[in-house]
Amino acid sequence: MNNYDVIVVGAGLSGLIAAAAATAAGAKVMLAAKGAGTLTIGSGTIDLLGYDNAGRPVAAPAAALAALPADHPYGKLGLPAVQAAADFFLALCAAAGYPYCGTLAANRWLPTAAGTLKPACLVPATMDLAGTEDAAHVVVLAFAGLRDYRPEMVIEGLSRRPGFRGKHFSTAVVDAGFGPGRDATALDLARWLDSDAGRRECAEQLKKRLPPGCLVLLPPVLGTRPDYQAWRDLEAATGCRLVELAGIPPAVTGFRLRALFLAHLRRQGVAIHEQAPVTGAVVANGRCLAVVTGQPDRRREYRAGAFVIATGGFLGGGFESAPGAACESIFGLPLDVPADQLAWSEPRLLAARPQPFARFGLETDQDLRPIGADGRAALANVHFAGPNLAGYDYSCEKSGNGVALVSGYHAGTAAGEGRA
Amino acid sequence: MTKTQAVVIGGGATGAGILRDLAMRGVKAVLIERRDLANGTSSRFHGLLHSGGRYAVKDPESAAECVAENAVLRRIARQCVEDTEGLFVRLPEDDAAFETEWLAACRALGLPAAPLPPAEALRLEPGLTPRLAAAYRVPDAAIDGFRLCWQNVASAVRHGGELRTYTEVVAIERAGGRVAGVVVRDAVSGATSTIACDLVINAAGSWVGEVAALAGAAVDVEPDRGTLIAFNHRFAGRVVNRLRPPADGDIFVPHGSVVIFGTTSAAADNPDDTAPRGEEVNALLRLGEPLFPDLPRYRILRAFAGTRPLYTGGHGAAGRAASRTFAVLDHSREGVHGLISVVGGKLTTYRLMAEKTVDLACGKLGIAVPCRTAAEPLAAGPAPGLLAAARKYFPAGGAELAAARLGDAFGAVVGRLGDDPANAALICECERVTLGEIKEVAACATTHGLGDIRRRTRLGMGTCQGAYCGFRGVAAVCAAGLADKPAAGLLGDFLEERWAGVRPVLWGTQLREQELLRGIYGASLNIDGAMNDEQL
Amino acid sequence: MNKNCCDIDACTACSTCAALCPVAAAVREFPGPKLAGPAAERFRRAGARDDAALAYCTNCKTCEITCPSGVPVAAINMRARAEHQKKHGRKLRDWLLAHGEHMAKLALPAQPLADLGMDNPVTRQVLKAIGIAAGRPLPKYARRSFLRQFGKLRQQPCADKIVFFPGCFTNYNAPEVGLDLVAVLQANGHEVVVPKGLNCCGLPLVTGGYLEEAEAAAKRNIAVLAPYAAAGVPILAACPSCGLMLKQDYRELFAADGAAEVAAKTYDAMEFLLELRDAGRLNTAFKPGKARYLYHAPCHLRAQGIGRPTLELIGALPGVTVADLDAGCCGIAGSYGFKDDRYEISMAIGQELFARIKAEQADAVLTDCGTCRLQIAHGTGAKALHPVSVLRKAYEPAYKL
Repeated sequence: MNNYDVIVVGAGLSGLIAAAAATAAGAKVMLAAKGAGTLTIGSGTIDLLGYDNAGRPVAAPAAALAALPADHPYGKLGLPAVQAAADFFLALCAAAGYPYCGTLAANRWLPTAAGTLKPACLVPATMDLAGTEDAAHVVVLAFAGLRDYRPEMVIEGLSRRPGFRGKHFSTAVVDAGFGPGRDATALDLARWLDSDAGRRECAEQLKKRLPPGCLVLLPPVLGTRPDYQAWRDLEAATGCRLVELAGIPPAVTGFRLRALFLAHLRRQGVAIHEQAPVTGAVVANGRCLAVVTGQPDRRREYRAGAFVIATGGFLGGGFESAPGAACESIFGLPLDVPADQLAWSEPRLLAARPQPFARFGLETDQDLRPIGADGRAALANVHFAGPNLAGYDYSCEKSGNGVALVSGYHAGTAAGEGRA
Repeated sequence: MTKTQAVVIGGGATGAGILRDLAMRGVKAVLIERRDLANGTSSRFHGLLHSGGRYAVKDPESAAECVAENAVLRRIARQCVEDTEGLFVRLPEDDAAFETEWLAACRALGLPAAPLPPAEALRLEPGLTPRLAAAYRVPDAAIDGFRLCWQNVASAVRHGGELRTYTEVVAIERAGGRVAGVVVRDAVSGATSTIACDLVINAAGSWVGEVAALAGAAVDVEPDRGTLIAFNHRFAGRVVNRLRPPADGDIFVPHGSVVIFGTTSAAADNPDDTAPRGEEVNALLRLGEPLFPDLPRYRILRAFAGTRPLYTGGHGAAGRAASRTFAVLDHSREGVHGLISVVGGKLTTYRLMAEKTVDLACGKLGIAVPCRTAAEPLAAGPAPGLLAAARKYFPAGGAELAAARLGDAFGAVVGRLGDDPANAALICECERVTLGEIKEVAACATTHGLGDIRRRTRLGMGTCQGAYCGFRGVAAVCAAGLADKPAAGLLGDFLEERWAGVRPVLWGTQLREQELLRGIYGASLNIDGAMNDEQL
Repeated sequence: MNKNCCDIDACTACSTCAALCPVAAAVREFPGPKLAGPAAERFRRAGARDDAALAYCTNCKTCEITCPSGVPVAAINMRARAEHQKKHGRKLRDWLLAHGEHMAKLALPAQPLADLGMDNPVTRQVLKAIGIAAGRPLPKYARRSFLRQFGKLRQQPCADKIVFFPGCFTNYNAPEVGLDLVAVLQANGHEVVVPKGLNCCGLPLVTGGYLEEAEAAAKRNIAVLAPYAAAGVPILAACPSCGLMLKQDYRELFAADGAAEVAAKTYDAMEFLLELRDAGRLNTAFKPGKARYLYHAPCHLRAQGIGRPTLELIGALPGVTVADLDAGCCGIAGSYGFKDDRYEISMAIGQELFARIKAEQADAVLTDCGTCRLQIAHGTGAKALHPVSVLRKAYEPAYKL
C-alpha cells in the first residue's frame, strides 16, 4: 500500500517512537527504514541530560532542563511534553514485559566497559546499580575471547569513582566454549544465553566462581530478547546481583529495545519497509504529498497525510555535507553552517562543551515543523525528530536518546493527530 | 653521568640512519629524540621513494642522488618499500615542451622513463582521467617512514647503538670551544641528566636551527609547510605524478590500504606548525581533480602537514625553488668544535646524508672504517617458514602486512600468537592489527602511549580512525598491565591526536564516522565526562 | 562488469552488518560481512588475495538490508569470491549447483527417469560422493515443466499484458506456482506472456563464482525483456531471488545496456498485485475461507525494499489471518544448504524460524521463495506455499483455468 495517514522515515529510536506514537493516536502508519538503525550502536538507555552546556554533571535532569537555552529541543517542547514521552515509553516497555527503571527526576550513573560512569534516566533493569550499594565485593566478569570487555580496564577506572571507592574488586572468567574462529562479540554471548543450555552452563560456571553476595559487573550478554529471562535465571542461580556494563557496539541492550519496538509496531499493523531509503519528496503549497524512495530498481512515491523525518542528522544520513556546506537530505532544507571547515568543530574532540557541528540542524516550531525565513512552518505536515533538530550536542550532554524519545514521541503524536 | 662518543639529535630517518652508520663503523653513539621516532617530517610526507623524475629538470643534483638511493633502498629496506612503480602523466593543458625537456633530463640522469600509451595507462589506473595526453613509467615506489626509522634503529642497536626517545635536549655543554656533552630531560619522568660526548650530530630536521642555537651556532633553515591528504581507499595502484614543473597537489602515492596526496608549500611560522588549514585541503582537492576526476567523491580519512627543512644557506631560494639537496655543516668554522649539523635533503636520500655526515664525524674521531650501510639490509626479513606459520593466525593478507611493518619483531609476535590463541584477537579490524602485536609493541621500553603503538602497528590509521580500535587498544594495554596512565586519559590522548587530522576534512562520510565515534566514546562510555570528573 | 559497483568509502565500519549476519552468527569461521567485504576490499586493492572465508557467505543480503550507509556489501563479496575461485578452482559439485538449469534440461526429457526423483538410493550415493548433503531432501523435478504446461493454456485475451519471468525453480520444480499466478492475473484482467529465449536469472552462477557466465545470462535475459520494458509492459517474478537479480544485481554487477529499464519495470508478483489493489483494480471477489497462515519474508524479498505485500494481500482475504514470523533468514540460500559442508550451517541459521513455526498453530506457512519453502518443510514438517497459490484458491472456482 502506498497511501498512509503517517509515514515515518527512519528506524532509530526517534523513528520507532514516532511510529508507535502515531499508531497510538489512531493513524495507519508506514515506517521507511534504511539500515538497522542506531539502537544497534548505543546502549538503549534513555539519557535525558547528563551534563549541562558548561560541562558540569547534572544530578536532577528534569529540573535542569529549565536552564537549557531556549533553542534546545527540550526548551522548545517543555517539561510536560518530556514527561509525557517518558510515560509513554515506560508504559510500552512494561506492557511488553521488559520494564525500564528510573525517573526523570534523577540521573542514574551506569558503569561502563571503560571503567567510567555514564548518566542516564531510564535504564533496563539489568543496567541499574540501585540496591547494590552495600555489596563490598565487586566481581568483574570476563568472557573468554571477548576483546571488547576487559575487567582490568573496568576495575582501573571504577575503583577510583564514587560509589566504588574502597570496594574489593576481583575478576572471574566464563568460557562459552566458542573455540577458534572470528572474535566473539557480546551479541554472540547473548545468543548463547538465549538458549537454555547456554544459561545452564553459564550458571554452573558462575556458581563455582562467585563469592556469595557479591555484585557482578558483566558485559551486556544477558540474552538478545527483551524479556529479562536470562538475567532472572542467572541471578536466581547465583544469588548475586548482575549488572550489565555499557560498552562499544554491537549494543546488545540496544538490540533488545529495538526488538521490543519492532515487535510492537508489527503487532500494531505498522507497515515496515526495510531497504527503502527516502531520497526526496513531492511538495506542493507548503505540504508534503509524498516521500520518494530510491530502491535498487526504481523510485517510488509513498503518500501520507503527515510525515515524521527521523533520519538521524549527520550520523544517520539525514544530513549531507560537503566542504563548507550542509543540507537536510530529503527536502534539501539548507543548514546554516560556516564556510571555514575548522569553524565546524572545537580544537578538542572531547571538549566538554558542545561541538558546533553537533548543534547544526533544523530550526522548528513547537510541533517540530521546519520554519522558513519568515519564522513560520515551511512544511505544514512534516515533523522532524532526533538529531535532525538544531541546538544540542547529544554526545557532550548525554541527551541522545532523551531528545530522540521526546521529539520522536511529540512528532509522531502531532503527525498522528494532525492527519488529513 | 653517562659517556659516549657521539650524541645524535633527532629521531627522524636521518638521525636513525646516522645512528646506524655510526654503530656499524664502531662508534659508540646515542640517538636522542624528544618524542617518538618518526614523529616529525619522516612521517609527515608523501611516503614517496623518489625515482628522481620529479627533480630531473630543475634540480639535477638532487635527482641524481634520488636515482642512486632509490636503488640502494630497494635493496636494504625491502620491507619498508612497496614497489608500486610510478607514472608521470601529462594532461592536455600541461606544457608539451616540458615533456621533451623532462625526457632529455631523465635520459641524462640514466633514469628509465618508458612511454606508456594513454589507453594502457588507463587500463593500469582506471581512476585516471581519460583526457590524459601522455604517460611514462618510472621506478617510483612507496616507502614507509615509520618502519624505516624503526628498522634503522633496530639495526643500529644490534651494532651497539643506543636509542632514547621521549628525551629532550635542553642544553649542549661546551668546554673551551668544544662540545662536551648534552643535558637531556626525560619527557616522561621530567628528570634531567647529562651525557658526556666528543661529538654532537644535529639531525633535527626542521628543528636543526633550534638545536644548533643551544650550542651558540646557527643554521640557515627555513621550515616549509607541506599539507597532505590521506584517502580511505587505494584508488591508484601506482604513484602518479603530474608531468609538469613541480607544483602543489601533483603527487599521489598508494600506501597499503590508502592513498596519500599532496603537497602544498608555504613558509611555516615554526617547525611545529603542522596543523593543516582548511583552505589548503580545498586547494589540494581542486588541484588533484584534473588527474583523478572522481577525487571529490573519494572519502578522505584525514589531512596532515609536515615541515620541510629547506636549507637556504647563502643562496636565498625558498619554497619550491629551494634545492632539495642537502648539506653537512661543520660548525668548527663558527668556533663550535665537535658539532655537526645535517640539513636539507629528502627522505629518499636519508642514507646518503647519514653516510656523508658520519664520514665527517669519523674523520674528526680519527676512525677510518668505511661506510657499509648501502650494502647491508636493515632487517633480515621473515624466514619463509615463519611467514607460513603466521598465516594460521592472521586474517587474509594480514601475515604479510604484519611481517613488513614489524621487521625484526615479527618472529616474537608470531610466537605470542602461537603461545596463546587469544593473542590473535583483531584489535584493529581496519588495518588488521592483532592483540599479540599490540602487546609486543606496548612492552617496549620506548612505548609510552597508544600513539607510539599506532606509529609502529598502524592501529587506528584506517577507516574508523580509532572508533573501535582505540577502545580495544587501551583495554588490551590495561589488561596486559602495560598502561602508564588512567585508561580514560590514554584514550583521550589517542582520540585527540586523531581528531587533529580529521577536523580539516570534517564533512561527508568522515563526519558521519566521527559522529559514530562520539556516540561510542561520548554518549556510551562518557570518556569526556570521566576525564573532566578526574580533573575536578 | 560494472567497475563502479564496489564503492567501499561509504562504510563507517559500524559493524552492524557483522552483528546481524545470520551466517556469522552460525559459523565462527566466517569473519562477517564487514571484515570479509569492505574492510578486506581495501587490502585486495593492495594485492591481498586470500579470501577463502568468503566461501561461507550465502549472499542473503542481510548485510545490505541492515547497513545504514548503503554499502553494497554482498556485491563486493560476490566479486571477491569469484576472483578467489578463479584462482583456486572449484569443485564439480559447485559447478553442478551453479548450473542447475543445465541439469534440469538434461533430466527433464528423461522422464520418467527424473520422475524417479533424485532421492533414490543410487542417485544419493553419487550425490554424496560429490558433496551433496546426505540429509537434505532434493526437490523433485515436475513431471511437466511450467513452460510446457503454460504453452497449452488458453488464456482469456486481455488488453493488459504482463511478462512473467518464471525462473528455474518454478519452471522445473514448482510449475503450480506459475500456473497459480497466471490464474490470479487472468482473474484480474491481465494476460500473461512468457517470451521465448529467457534463461536462468544467473543468481546460482553469481553465488557460485561464475560471474562471466552470469553476465552472459543476464544479457540474454535483458535482450529478451528490454523491448517489453520499453513498451511499458510490467515484468513479474514470483521468485524473489530472480526478482532481485532483475531489479538490482544486473545493474549493480554488470554494466549491461537496458538493465536499468528492465529493473524499472520489474515487480515481485505480490508487489504487483498489491499495486493493483492500491489502484482499486484488484478483483476482490474472494470466496470466504477459514485459515490461519504464518508468513516468512525471504531475505531477497526484504532486500527489494517493498515491505511485505503478502501480509496485506492475504491478510485482507475474508476469514483469513496471517502472522508475520519475522525470524530472519531460513538458512538455505538457494543451493548453499545442499552442500555437505554447509548443511549444518544452513540448519543452524534456520533454527529461530523453525522454532517460531513449531510454536504456532497454522494451516500453512506462506513464503514467496521456492528454496525457503523446501527449507521450512525440511526443518519443521510444515506445509509451505507460495502466497499466490492461496490467492488462486480464494478465486476458485470462478476463475479456474
